[in-house]
Amino acid sequence: MVIALIALIGVFVSLYLTLYKLGYIGTLVCGTGSCELVQLSKWGTFLGLPVAAWGVGYYGAVFVLAMVSTQERFESSRRLTGALALVTGWGVVFTIWLTYLELFVIHAICRWCVGSAVMTVLLFGLAMAEWREGARTRG
Amino acid sequence: MTPTPSKGKGRPAPKRTSNSTRIFYLALVVIAVAGIGALSYMSRRPADRELSPVDSTLPKVQSNGYVMGDSSAPIEVIEFGDFECPSCARFSTLTEPEVRSRLVEKGVIRFRFIDFPLSMHRNTWPASRAAACADEQGKFWQMHDALFQSQDQWNGETTGNPNPIFKQLAQQIGLNQKQFDDCVDSKKTQAKIQAHEQLAEQQHIQATPSFIIGGKIVEGPRPYDEFKAIVDSALKKSGSPLATPSTAGAGKTPATKAATKR
Repeated sequence: MVIALIALIGVFVSLYLTLYKLGYIGTLVCGTGSCELVQLSKWGTFLGLPVAAWGVGYYGAVFVLAMVSTQERFESSRRLTGALALVTGWGVVFTIWLTYLELFVIHAICRWCVGSAVMTVLLFGLAMAEWREGARTRG
Repeated sequence: MTPTPSKGKGRPAPKRTSNSTRIFYLALVVIAVAGIGALSYMSRRPADRELSPVDSTLPKVQSNGYVMGDSSAPIEVIEFGDFECPSCARFSTLTEPEVRSRLVEKGVIRFRFIDFPLSMHRNTWPASRAAACADEQGKFWQMHDALFQSQDQWNGETTGNPNPIFKQLAQQIGLNQKQFDDCVDSKKTQAKIQAHEQLAEQQHIQATPSFIIGGKIVEGPRPYDEFKAIVDSALKKSGSPLATPSTAGAGKTPATKAATKR
């Protein structure tokens, strides 16, 4: 349940950044951070799409998987918890790459990106906990 | 003893309490409503801005802003900048020197700067007015450079009264001090900056710095190589002989003096 809630927040955060990148939302609200610099750098796009749009897809997928897993008939599905652990694990790998770019290539930190990184790590931790919990109750 | 009723085989499946399910769905609804509300609020703020490709039916920006370079250069690059924007300062200090020496001074491009003061920056309007005052004495670009180089000394996080710092900068770049001080104090260049801001809005500029290069909006401070690649592509499109890398690229030739016009 917590995974679904965090993923839904992630959907909105990444949707906000996507809309900014596409120009539908005005100036980024970013106080002392460097969100514009990060967003508008060439690293703000991946395979022709804004990185934030990939984030919408990622959080959306996690949200759907998490919602399905809240249904009674899928509660003890090992496949589902395994898929959640895999998807969120991929999210962590991608986040590490993006954080590396921010720190060592672009030399700017966007607080929205930091927020997303925290959520991604949390999602992975929770998904792993569910997966291990499923293994324990089975065994 | 009566066995606990169960639908399946073996031990009964643990049922979530209806209470926690209710809280979960309530939290989902709250997040969804808050998220949609926040997004729709931000998308309307400010209501008149939409980023779209340059609308060629809009009046051309030709007699406004500050221009550097040869009037016969094959293309004009327009920068919409905000003096208090850190990204603009980054472009001005890291990329622009090379843009000037390799592209503007060689007649490859003409460079126009148009103020686009963002509401998020407290001292950007006074800075734009100060630059316009320097322009009255023919030293816009010197003030432009001085403002970006000293941005951390006068930005809204440092001071609420930047004009004394602008007056010091005026002295450093050799302006007539009294004339400059009077101009800054009277805010007489305000209307000019407002006109520049309007031009940016007409072009649907969303972020600073933004550039119009060959009819295309390019956002963000680009490193020189990337900037030049965009210029090259615009030159190719325009069919200019300057499009070849050997003429538009590196290497020094005697520089023509950059001109400042209005």
